[in-house]
Amino acid sequence: MRALSWAYLIAMLGFILLPVAMLVIFSFQDGRLPVPPLKGVTLEWYGKVLSDRALMEALVNSLLVAFVSALTALVLGFLAASGLARVVLPGSAWMRGALIAPMTVSYLIVALGLLQMFGQVGIRPSLLATGIGHVVINLPLCFAITYAAIGEHQRSALKAARDLGAREFQVLWFVAAPMLAPALAAAFFLAFTFSWDEFIIAFLLTRFDVTLPVEIWSMLRSGLSPATNAVGSLVFLVSLVILVALELTLFRKGAK
Amino acid sequence: MTADVHIHGVEHRFDTFTALHRVDLKISAGEFIVLLGPSGCGKTTLLSIIGGFLSPSEGNVLIGGKDMSLVAPRARPTTTVFQDYALFPHMSLRDNVAFGLRMRGVGRAARHKKALEMLDLVGLSDKGDRKPHALSGGQRQRVALARALAVDPDVLLLDEPLGALDLKLRRQMQDELKAIQRSVGTTFIHVTHDQEEAMAIADRIVVMNQGRIEHCGTPEEVYLTPKTLFSANFMGEMNRIPVTAAGQGVASPLGLLPLAPQTGTLCLRPENLGLAGEVSLGPARLEAAAFFGSHHRCHFTPLAAPDLRLIAHLPQGRHPAPGEEVELFATHPVILAPEAA
Amino acid sequence: MSIERREKWQGAALVAPALLWTLVFFAVPFAGMALMSLAHLDGREIVQGFDLGNYLKIFTEPALRRGISVSLEITALVTVLSVLLAWPLAWIIATVVPARWRRLVLLLAVLPFWTSYVVRSYSWALVLGEKGVVMNALVGIGLLAEPVQIMATRAATVIGFVHFFVMLLTLTIYSNLVQLSPNYARAAQDLGASRWQVIWHVILPLTLPGVMTGAFLTFVLCIGDYITPQILGGNNELSLPQLIMLQLGRRGDYPMASALSVVLMAIVTLAYVASARWLKMERM
Repeated sequence: MRALSWAYLIAMLGFILLPVAMLVIFSFQDGRLPVPPLKGVTLEWYGKVLSDRALMEALVNSLLVAFVSALTALVLGFLAASGLARVVLPGSAWMRGALIAPMTVSYLIVALGLLQMFGQVGIRPSLLATGIGHVVINLPLCFAITYAAIGEHQRSALKAARDLGAREFQVLWFVAAPMLAPALAAAFFLAFTFSWDEFIIAFLLTRFDVTLPVEIWSMLRSGLSPATNAVGSLVFLVSLVILVALELTLFRKGAK
Repeated sequence: MTADVHIHGVEHRFDTFTALHRVDLKISAGEFIVLLGPSGCGKTTLLSIIGGFLSPSEGNVLIGGKDMSLVAPRARPTTTVFQDYALFPHMSLRDNVAFGLRMRGVGRAARHKKALEMLDLVGLSDKGDRKPHALSGGQRQRVALARALAVDPDVLLLDEPLGALDLKLRRQMQDELKAIQRSVGTTFIHVTHDQEEAMAIADRIVVMNQGRIEHCGTPEEVYLTPKTLFSANFMGEMNRIPVTAAGQGVASPLGLLPLAPQTGTLCLRPENLGLAGEVSLGPARLEAAAFFGSHHRCHFTPLAAPDLRLIAHLPQGRHPAPGEEVELFATHPVILAPEAA
Repeated sequence: MSIERREKWQGAALVAPALLWTLVFFAVPFAGMALMSLAHLDGREIVQGFDLGNYLKIFTEPALRRGISVSLEITALVTVLSVLLAWPLAWIIATVVPARWRRLVLLLAVLPFWTSYVVRSYSWALVLGEKGVVMNALVGIGLLAEPVQIMATRAATVIGFVHFFVMLLTLTIYSNLVQLSPNYARAAQDLGASRWQVIWHVILPLTLPGVMTGAFLTFVLCIGDYITPQILGGNNELSLPQLIMLQLGRRGDYPMASALSVVLMAIVTLAYVASARWLKMERM
């Protein structure tokens, strides 16, 4: 059983890692097609990608949308979680359900609904429209993570802060936010990643200024190319660097 | 600072369940009061109402003569030591203790000075820069106490603050708590379900059951002359013998006893049964005995009533051999009327 | 105002912005879409109205009806395959792999998560293409005489999906497995169960809620995804999301796109209702 287990593990890891390995390897292809055989190693495609104005603009747009929408979702979710964790309101369960609901709906449906509504009230497809959509899909996530982090201990610490004379904004600023910092950071990071990688909402709600996934999508129309491999590898690399940095700082500290 | 607390006809209902039935209680300034009772008796509800975390359905609370009905917890002259201490995990001990002063706009230097004083009071002045997670349970409890006292409350509320500590530490903290209360003079209202803890620290004990006050008095009064069977039982182990008034004395399964005539239950604490005393209970046989360190715990069967079991605590080295027949005596007999059920 | 009333108002004030956002940018557009699904297209003009024509068309026109069955078939296959592949993987990582390697192996098992979703589908196109590494290998070792077409078939879509959801399910099942006290397995072994019996009678049932939650998540994400079928499946058979995008792009038929979206939403809701008693949403 042990040998069988290891064989299965290796086979599955092979399956999981195969496409990413091919992606990275053939981003160095010295030729026009990113498929075997590897004709030679070159950094030409990376140079091309990094000097591509449209691609770099899309990258900046993506970072901007991801940062602003994740922050907005985090603030809204944090406030709502603090409110609902604090008092039992009539319809509390209903409110929690309503805040979580967008999580169970396909992004495509969220995008289509917003596209139609924005069209009717005259909001043009733009980064702003995309950002609004990204807050819609990330707010449930930020709310749920923050709400789950407020346990009995946290509740009584918040109660103690009020008992010691803190006003409501002081409770949030001096106690709730720093106390929940690990959960807030995790929520922000996840929201940022989801927005950064989100395609369909950005595809339908942007026109001239586009985000990175949309720009990559338009690169795909020209078929397989080592340039696309290079972009994909770069995105992968950046995510890994962020992940490792988080792992070494935030989560190590939080685990203590 | 200190203040008196008057509780007037406080009733509290959760949906259909009534947690408190028209409770009246007067607490003097500087008193150490213990609210004692089993879980669900309403003691924590009463504490939350005094602290302002719950509003009473009826009645009101006055602190220092002022009606608190519309005063939020943050504006009340009360602070609370929570059961789980509720220390802020992201702040050092000093910042925890200084938090209340910071919220009151006290400058950094002044509040840090006060915080160190308070930490000194609880014996942790050298640990001001530590974070709460680096402390033991007993130390956390002290920090919570220092934090609550740092803002000079008139009334300190303690919600089972020693409940999470082991027995030895709990006994030690009781002594410290009592000493600190004497030195600061603040009114302490302390909730617990441990009757030994209550006796160790209280000026007055308020025994509560099912949302009502059963007995309110000094530890001696509550323990030795309980007013109800509930509080008699709750304060400690008790031998109970049904009696009826008969002429000059009372009739019991043990025969006629020379006590003030009354019908009810004769209550005798195990340590008040012995081989000498005020009232003779007649001959009894020792069935079994166990050594408990400070005393021998002995099971006696009265010869007159073979179905009855009496438990007596006899002093070290002073117990008969099992099977031996001796004459039992009682001191501090109390007869309580049957409970109005 | 009593203290409790004031507290409730403060609590409500904190929840209000998030609720308002969800209402304005989620509930209202969704209601608008439901309304739009009852309109119809006349030439290029949208005619508001209250008619069920779009829905009737979805269930009668073969091209549209086919979309629903294609989506359901792919999603069902992907969900089952992903669970069957992910459970043993999660179990092996949680129990067979030595503790000191566990974190590293888990990290490797979900590594492709960190590349972009679009790029991940693209990289499968690289691998599965006629000149891709898989065909090269199969022809090279003589299993195939000449390359066969995988790209632009349902097989490619399913492989791309399974790749993604195996990672997701491995994560959820793994976290479920490590939360179980080792004493369950010890108690079962103590009472005479073999290793297989322990897995089958004790460990597997205990992970069922986590598995069901993961499977539901897989179902929802899979049936609503446009990217994977579009890149890997091509245009030979269209899934529901592809049909929706087709209505939007080529024909500007918002009413039909809306009606298809409502159907998609209804399928997800039905799946939720059917599996609700198994789900522990807080594990998500």
